[in-house]
Amino acid sequence: MDLVTQAKWDSLAGSFDFLSQADDRRFAAAKRSLFAKIKGKTLLVAVGTGNDFKFFPPGHHIVGIDISPKMLERARLKVGEYQGQIELDAMDVTALDFPDASFDTVATVCTFCSVPKPVAGLSELRRVLKPGGRILMFEHVRSRIGPLGILQDLMTPLTRRNGPDLNRDTVANVHRAGFKIVRVKNAYLDIVKMIEAENPA
Amino acid sequence: MWFVIGDYVAGAVVGAGTALAVHAIVQPGMDMVIAMLLGMAIGMVLHFVLGFILAPFLGMFQTMMPASLIGMYGGMAFGMRDSMGAGSVEWSSCTLVGIIFGIVVVFALHVYDRALRAVVVEGAD
Repeated sequence: MDLVTQAKWDSLAGSFDFLSQADDRRFAAAKRSLFAKIKGKTLLVAVGTGNDFKFFPPGHHIVGIDISPKMLERARLKVGEYQGQIELDAMDVTALDFPDASFDTVATVCTFCSVPKPVAGLSELRRVLKPGGRILMFEHVRSRIGPLGILQDLMTPLTRRNGPDLNRDTVANVHRAGFKIVRVKNAYLDIVKMIEAENPA
Repeated sequence: MWFVIGDYVAGAVVGAGTALAVHAIVQPGMDMVIAMLLGMAIGMVLHFVLGFILAPFLGMFQTMMPASLIGMYGGMAFGMRDSMGAGSVEWSSCTLVGIIFGIVVVFALHVYDRALRAVVVEGAD
């Protein structure tokens, strides 16, 4: 378990809902449309305080993990709001305690901006995803628009101390981990993206 | 709708704040390159503080991206202007130009965002 990352997100658990309240509303439609595509048993990575449960269609079996026990404490309070089955567990995405090919779908929300070894984490997700299964990601990445990308590079050393990196190339990381990219759609500029990828059979 | 109005208000606040802060520090006659770098630094610090305050109410990215453009590039432009002592000598006109700059940047990003949302890459492999 990455204790540094765990401590960082534990420290944010108390203020997370306040800080993300507007994002939660502004991206609600985009998240709903993305997660409407989940099929079968689904692994939700980095559940945080459980704000995204409401964006999942009802009636599914969702296994949620997060590296932060304090985030999970808050997420447990929201499990009852979901009309389906949710299990929660503290886990590091780079060392998942699940057998190979355990899930039909993997979902992530603003996760791989924070995982210190993103390709290792994505490779681990590929291991637990069934062949042909899909990963649905709502992630922010480095902009390819020159001035915005430079600004994200400049801000990242500051944001990294208490939160995420702003300049990750997550689409490329998904590809590097061996997934086949199916679809990439922008949710805000070319920074917040919905990425769909498949675990090749 | 309220979020969109909020975006423009935030842009105006960051623009005015940057213009005023740069105007207070950069004096006419200062070397233009130094003034530009100083304006950029002031704008970046200010956008970070204001952006962090406003982000919980407007969204992290919808606040920080326009604010960073306004702070950094606006700061550079305001710094060069003030070093030359050209235009916006009064505090009120300086504020107005900052507000206009902020609103224009937010408008441009809204237009750009709308165009980019239509972009879908299928089977990117």
